[in-house]
Amino acid sequence: MAIRSLKTGTFTRSGMAGNPVIMPGSYESIASATVGSSGVVEFTSIPSTYSHLQIRAITRNSSGSTDVSDLLMQVGSANSPDTGTNYSRHEMSANGTAVSGGGAANSSFMFVSPSPRNGNTSGIFGPLIVDILDYANTNKFKTVKTLSATDMNGSGYVYISSGNWRNTAAINYIRLYISSVNFVTGTQFALYGVN
Amino acid sequence: MALQLFKITDSTVASPVTSVTFSSIPQGYTDLIVKVSAKSSRVSANNTDYFKIKLNGSTTGYSDRSLYGNGSAAVSESNNATSYGFGFVLNGASSSTFSNFEMYIPNYTSSNYKSWSADGVAEDNATSAIAALNANLWSNTAAITSISFESANSANFLANSTFTLYGVL
Repeated sequence: MAIRSLKTGTFTRSGMAGNPVIMPGSYESIASATVGSSGVVEFTSIPSTYSHLQIRAITRNSSGSTDVSDLLMQVGSANSPDTGTNYSRHEMSANGTAVSGGGAANSSFMFVSPSPRNGNTSGIFGPLIVDILDYANTNKFKTVKTLSATDMNGSGYVYISSGNWRNTAAINYIRLYISSVNFVTGTQFALYGVN
Repeated sequence: MALQLFKITDSTVASPVTSVTFSSIPQGYTDLIVKVSAKSSRVSANNTDYFKIKLNGSTTGYSDRSLYGNGSAAVSESNNATSYGFGFVLNGASSSTFSNFEMYIPNYTSSNYKSWSADGVAEDNATSAIAALNANLWSNTAAITSISFESANSANFLANSTFTLYGVL
């Protein structure tokens, strides 16, 4: 198999001694969860060895109506969530007609993304990507950014949202949930570490 | 084959600096990604600053389009024929809160003009905070060999700001 030098872009015939070094990737799977009928997804004992974290997910929830519900997040440093009013959250969204913004200080959770309700056409899930930079850096509060988009064949949303946890401790716990309802089968979450 | 991400280099600010530069960028990747968790010394009404981004040290040929929300409304704006790329947004001097910013540069070695996208959030424990999406164009066909970041308001990057450059295959 030909091997490409990352430094020069040139190809060589093999990785034998004398040829360019093959570097390991910087993007690693930490854990994943395929949800049955549960209201909460938790990632615990997250190692502090990465530079950043990323969550990729698709969700749908058990609310019987149409439109969407709010997917929320809490984090912690002792394998449990901080449930105090130690978060702030902001978002900008578009629904195909208008754009809008919102936000709140001293919140008890961070808003992540819209999650399609079960009253929508079956098979519709909402994707999202969450980035948590410097999650183990004890010199800074933790700022979370999420890009998400959900189209429901007639309605939908595009979001960029942010959250901040006013704590300098390393994050080793993440809780994702929707108030008062469950996720439905097909919902998936995956946590990655980025070196 | 799945996309693969490789860290090329990173920079952590130890004491306030006016700029951070990635130079001698290897030319063997397909795309580049930069992840930034940074804070500016700028003190402003909404604790916000913006990145001034230069490719290969060039001060000509940039243009940009932005969509941003401030916690209550959304706004679109643009700049043409500017001397730097525009990165929205960088956290200003607000407690220990740092921005969360990422830029994605596809085909950075191609002989076409260089387009990149960026998304960023400033956050603040207040009702107002900036979240933004950017489109940028550098009308230059040169392969990108360096990327530099400065404050658009001549402020400093404060200690513990981190900049990480990745190559994508």
